[in-house]
Amino acid sequence: MFVSSRNEVSEFRRRYRWMRLFVVLTFIVLVGRLIQLQLVDGDEHHRQSLANVIRTVPIPAVRGRIFDSKGRVMATSMPSHSVVVIPHYFDMGKGFERLTEFLGYDDEQAAKLRAKIAERLANPKDMRRFQQFSVADGINQEHLSTIKAFMEELPGVDIVDVPVRYYPYGSMGAHMIGYTNEVNAQDIEKRRGMVEDPYRSGDRLGRTGVERMLESDLRGVRGWRKKVVDARNLPLMRRESETLLPEPRMQEPRAGNDVISTVDMALQKIVQQSLRGHPSGAVVVMDVDTGRVLAATSKPAYDPNVITSGLSFEQQRALNENIFRPRIDKTLYETYFPGSTFKPFSAMAAMEEGKITEADVFHCSGFHEFGRRTFKCPKPHGDISLRDGLVVSCNVLFYNLAEMTGMDTIARYAREFGFGAQTRVGYNSEASGFIPTKAWYAKRFPGQFRIGFTLNAAIGQGNVKATLMQVAAAYSAIANGGTIYRPQVIRRIETGDGDLVKDFPPEVVRRVAVSQRTLDLMMDSLVGVVEDENGTAHGARTEGVDIAGKTGTAQVVRRARKPGDDLNQHYYLNRDHAWFAAVAPSIEPEIAIVTLIEHGGAGGEHAAPVAVEITRRYFEEIAPRQEEPLIAEEQQPPRDKAPLVVDEETATTASTHRH
Amino acid sequence: MPRVLAHRFRDEFDWILTILIVIIAVTGVINLYSTGKAYGIPDLYLTQIYWLAFGGCVAFAVAVPDYRHYERFGYVLYAVGILLLILVLFVGTEINNSRRWLTFGALGRLQPSELMKVLLVIGLAKLLHHDPRVEGRKVIDMVVPALMTLLPMALIISEPDLGTALLCLLIFLSIMMLTRLKARSLLVVTASAPIVGVWAWSYLLKPYQKQRVVSFWSSLIDPQADRLGAGWQTYQSITAVGSGRVTGKGFTQGIIGPHHFLPEQHTDFPFSVFAEEQGFIGAVALVFLYGVLILWCLRIAANSRDRFGSVIAVGVGSIFFWQVIINIGMAMGIVPVVGVTLPLFSYGGSSILTFMLCIGLLMNVSIHRYMR
Repeated sequence: MFVSSRNEVSEFRRRYRWMRLFVVLTFIVLVGRLIQLQLVDGDEHHRQSLANVIRTVPIPAVRGRIFDSKGRVMATSMPSHSVVVIPHYFDMGKGFERLTEFLGYDDEQAAKLRAKIAERLANPKDMRRFQQFSVADGINQEHLSTIKAFMEELPGVDIVDVPVRYYPYGSMGAHMIGYTNEVNAQDIEKRRGMVEDPYRSGDRLGRTGVERMLESDLRGVRGWRKKVVDARNLPLMRRESETLLPEPRMQEPRAGNDVISTVDMALQKIVQQSLRGHPSGAVVVMDVDTGRVLAATSKPAYDPNVITSGLSFEQQRALNENIFRPRIDKTLYETYFPGSTFKPFSAMAAMEEGKITEADVFHCSGFHEFGRRTFKCPKPHGDISLRDGLVVSCNVLFYNLAEMTGMDTIARYAREFGFGAQTRVGYNSEASGFIPTKAWYAKRFPGQFRIGFTLNAAIGQGNVKATLMQVAAAYSAIANGGTIYRPQVIRRIETGDGDLVKDFPPEVVRRVAVSQRTLDLMMDSLVGVVEDENGTAHGARTEGVDIAGKTGTAQVVRRARKPGDDLNQHYYLNRDHAWFAAVAPSIEPEIAIVTLIEHGGAGGEHAAPVAVEITRRYFEEIAPRQEEPLIAEEQQPPRDKAPLVVDEETATTASTHRH
Repeated sequence: MPRVLAHRFRDEFDWILTILIVIIAVTGVINLYSTGKAYGIPDLYLTQIYWLAFGGCVAFAVAVPDYRHYERFGYVLYAVGILLLILVLFVGTEINNSRRWLTFGALGRLQPSELMKVLLVIGLAKLLHHDPRVEGRKVIDMVVPALMTLLPMALIISEPDLGTALLCLLIFLSIMMLTRLKARSLLVVTASAPIVGVWAWSYLLKPYQKQRVVSFWSSLIDPQADRLGAGWQTYQSITAVGSGRVTGKGFTQGIIGPHHFLPEQHTDFPFSVFAEEQGFIGAVALVFLYGVLILWCLRIAANSRDRFGSVIAVGVGSIFFWQVIINIGMAMGIVPVVGVTLPLFSYGGSSILTFMLCIGLLMNVSIHRYMR
């Protein structure tokens, strides 16, 4: 039954040889492929296998802080966390459910997120699948710990630290401090190769003010940490995995440097409060002996805390369409006719060139006829000297003076004092203002040069334009004996540990070629503006406040009233700007205060009181005068019983006094 | 009688076969230890040892009785396999959308399609045993064995389990190559291949399977082309194999394997893990062992005393051969991804049992080669 012939096997005999050959050849192919993969391309595959699992995670650098001159924090960075998703590693099933649950998404939000991820995963060649995007910014501690605890179930989800910029003073001094926001593709491209640490998507960049000016100091250099992840992008804790990491495994970030400003936020607050009631204007307070800016306010301002986290479309529009132009820095970027605040410079030109002396007397009948045109004075001043002409701001006197001196001479002196050129304070886009010359007029208005141009220029109208910062620097020079300082807002740059990185000593631009005698006359005139009965700012004079200054009225280009215009707004916008450029105290001045109230009307009435209040509170609260007591100690009223507490500001002063 | 049996075992026991199997299986267990450790299933290799031990007993039991008894019950065994396949379609356990398993309570699961590969070999061996030819075979002579193959194939495809069905076809073709064919028959079989291919592409393959094949072709041209899509596994596997370089990263020191870059690595990609950790030296050694094993099968076939034994040895050898080529080939990116295990190396009870059955049959044929 089991019998079967071996001969029958002969059918198969000759086949085995071929089968053996086939098997051997096939195995040779396998070995050949092994040779190719492991021996020829082995190094490349090895590199790739490491690249698969080693991720370099950036550690953001903490942006430097900005302090005021007294060490108050003006800008700092607060820790904040964002939840990001990397679509490729994300689990659209359970992971998605978990994440939306943790974040408290409703159905609509969840659907939106799902669509966003699906879009990035649609095309396998779309590299956006590997780019993380934020699904929640500034998550609270509760969310943070929940998500961290469930990381294992959330492949492709990560938590990243995103420090948020915080400005404790809100809109106060906002233009000067500036703000940061996220870089866009163009910013990254533009700065490629120019900085040590290239900008990446999600980084923040100083956009305006000191934040922009000292971006490279404030920013710091980010660090990194290498970690081993698995295919789901989850970090691995295996000991074996740790050994895969090449040394060094981590680079600590370098925090940005701290910046110490020259500004005093307490004074800034005083300035802010003094401007109450005026919707739009600007003030610069400057140390006359150094050019340091103690306060710079442009009103209205915006809250950088809001801007820094991104504005909605409506918010942007509201900001851009506001008639008071909150985005513009009115101390630097906006130029105005300096008006009568320019008169001292015309006067100095005439005196230095010997065209007039302080003894010369002019006659003002209320108007000055020149050719067919009549140039007016607010009122006839009668016989009048140069000093009194400045005190009462007589235009006729200056028309005469301009005729004698000539436009180009006045322009030369004005430039000496820094007009017509940027002050290079550096923290925002700065206008250079303008001082016209004959040559410019010849080019601009070909034909006969009209001396009328000169007359207008001498009283700061016509085509003369200046910024508040220029006026402040120029008046500082009058007060300090003729030194033009470059205005500064930065005192020092320090490391986070307080080591000095860079100091900013006062920088002299030039000493003006004006005699002390002339400068003294100017100071005397400025005192007269406030102190004399007929001085234009006499109305603002306050007992105990020692201030000298010049009022000015900058004419506004008249707007034709269109139908449908708001009547109040129309009248407001056609009102002239009010200037008051002042120094205080009148003897050995310390500060220059330049005030401009947009559409304020007359300078003496509207701008001067603001400057007077700033000055009063400056010497009461910021820099109390250390005077020798004139009266014996016991005759003074007892301090404890004095009703010093008037408001919060003086309350702090009161407590200091009691010490 | 027991004395005779012991005597025969001493003289005729196939030590070479045994040693080959033991080396491969032990290497496989060691490799699984590394995989299991990385995956947080440290008992993986222990389970594999239990199955190997059980499978070894089965192999022994299969090896002892003269294989001519199997010849006698050849069609019955084949029919049992078919019945199990039909059964699985109705009461099978479904995992990952395919119904491949029969669950036996606490004992575990059995994959009848795995068993069918062996039973198909036995069925075809019985058929050819009684059908010796002197002349070359015509196409019509191949119809019955072809039908015997197509029946289980159709059942397996409907599970669906394309890899095993494909293996059945390859087993059939390999065995037919053993017989004397007319040149015309060979031509017809060769010519029909593309037609069957196109038909299978249009009606048989599921979209994900087509995608695998497309991705395979594109990755042959450019390995990076589809590395994020369907080619992900292949790309990672190639990286794993290649990154082993000459000496490998060392036992349990792999990168690709332990970091979850290779799905199903303990069943489908154990070779990648092995080649990554043991390098070129280890990988070539393993490939060499498989080569020797398969050539040994052919030797057993050639030395067999009858046609049944020869077909059994060649059929079993072809199971080994094709699974090795497909599995290692797909790990190295020269064969599309098909879920086929690496003999005695991959994790899995059904797979181990099937190969142990094969070993038992081989041993049986080898031991009884001189018997009349």
